Amino acid sequence: MRIKEFSIVLLLLLGTQSAMAQKGLLDILEQEQQDRPQYTLATFKATRITFGHSIETRKKGILEVSMVNRFWNTPSLYSQSFGADKLNTRIALEYAITDRLSTGFGGSTWDGLFDGYLKYRLIRQRDDRDGAPISLTLFQNGSYYSEGLLASNIDGNFSSRLSGTTQLLIARKFSSDFSFQVAPTFVHKGFRFSGEDPLNILALGFGGRYKLGGHLSLVSEYYAVFNPVESFDTYGPFSLGVNWELGDIMLQFMLTNASHIVEDAYIAGTRYNFNFKNPNLNFGFNATYVIHFNRKLKGLEQNKP
Amino acid sequence: MCHQLTAQKVIARQGQVAFFSYTSVENIKAENNQVLSIMDLQTGEIAVSMLMNAFIFEKALMREHFNESYVESDIYPKATFEGMIMDFEARNPQEQTKIVKGNFSMHGVTKEIEVKAKIEHKDENYIISGTFDAVVKDYEIKIPPLLAGNIAKTVSVDFRFECLPYED
Repeated sequence: MRIKEFSIVLLLLLGTQSAMAQKGLLDILEQEQQDRPQYTLATFKATRITFGHSIETRKKGILEVSMVNRFWNTPSLYSQSFGADKLNTRIALEYAITDRLSTGFGGSTWDGLFDGYLKYRLIRQRDDRDGAPISLTLFQNGSYYSEGLLASNIDGNFSSRLSGTTQLLIARKFSSDFSFQVAPTFVHKGFRFSGEDPLNILALGFGGRYKLGGHLSLVSEYYAVFNPVESFDTYGPFSLGVNWELGDIMLQFMLTNASHIVEDAYIAGTRYNFNFKNPNLNFGFNATYVIHFNRKLKGLEQNKP
Repeated sequence: MCHQLTAQKVIARQGQVAFFSYTSVENIKAENNQVLSIMDLQTGEIAVSMLMNAFIFEKALMREHFNESYVESDIYPKATFEGMIMDFEARNPQEQTKIVKGNFSMHGVTKEIEVKAKIEHKDENYIISGTFDAVVKDYEIKIPPLLAGNIAKTVSVDFRFECLPYED
């Protein structure tokens, strides 16, 4: 019995030995493949999921020119507006200072908000066994409310027109098709319609992406607001849309209840819930053009046979 | 009289592969400097392995599109080649031009290809270089009609592997 077992083990050992000797060249290369960090690419395709920021930042030297629009109708049955009754457009320039740090400035037409942000990509998800299973990006923005104030009870000095949003954007690309993001959010609302309104608002954002094809993905976002403002009813902003990427152009289409485009405004001040009636339903259209100022491979020439 | 070959295999750990797609709309070039290649000097067998996401493009966004929307490197992370250098003369000190025949796999598709390669031999090192054309459609890489003008039907691929003796 003992001898039989021993001989089986011996045979097995010999078997592995000969298999090792016959190891193909590709197997050797497999072992040689250096343990380079493999950072997950494209958790989301754009720096926004729909209205909210995603964990993505652009690579160093990229300037994005973006035009973000929201169209919606007033509840009135008759109107003579061309296309849609109302339009909010934010025009912005956003620049990646390094691969991890980017900044942007923009202005919105309808709500008169001027905003700027800084975004830092702190942790990047890695595909290999080592490293972080998630990506984490820090986001801070500030906005200035520029509209004239008619109501005398509202303080209109400079500092009370400022608001800010701080976000921890946490996302994971679960598969090549599916990514999900959670965003604990702190909004400081300097501009308030009533003294009863909270100065600081807490919210939690959820966002997802499902890849439909090589260039198209389905996206959705929602922000739950924990202590909304008192002076009027607000609802959590929701969106459902598609992202369509075409080379240097990123197009995002969505249906949403958020007419505002700047973070503090849509998180704390979305006045209508999501449904298909007017003025609740907004059609959103983001167009982003990507310009690369940092071009690589300048010296690379093709071999002449 | 030829000199003694001490190593049986030679390996390149920082091999270069570059590809070029030229169209009237846009020229795209990309380079990978971390390609692995190993060659068996006795049999003339050769293998190449490269990570698709190690290609660097002129525009950073192109790298993302290349991996995410074209070669799907999440699913097919590597391109590999396994083949044989025909009539390989390991001891020939002169530069030789040989046909390399074998199977090239990319994006889950394996194709038999034949490539003309130049082999230089210096001391114990071998440098293999050459160019071949790859038809994008052969590898089931989908290009949306709107971008069909931006990407060439056939891309030209340059390679250069500087192989050093490999110790088991």
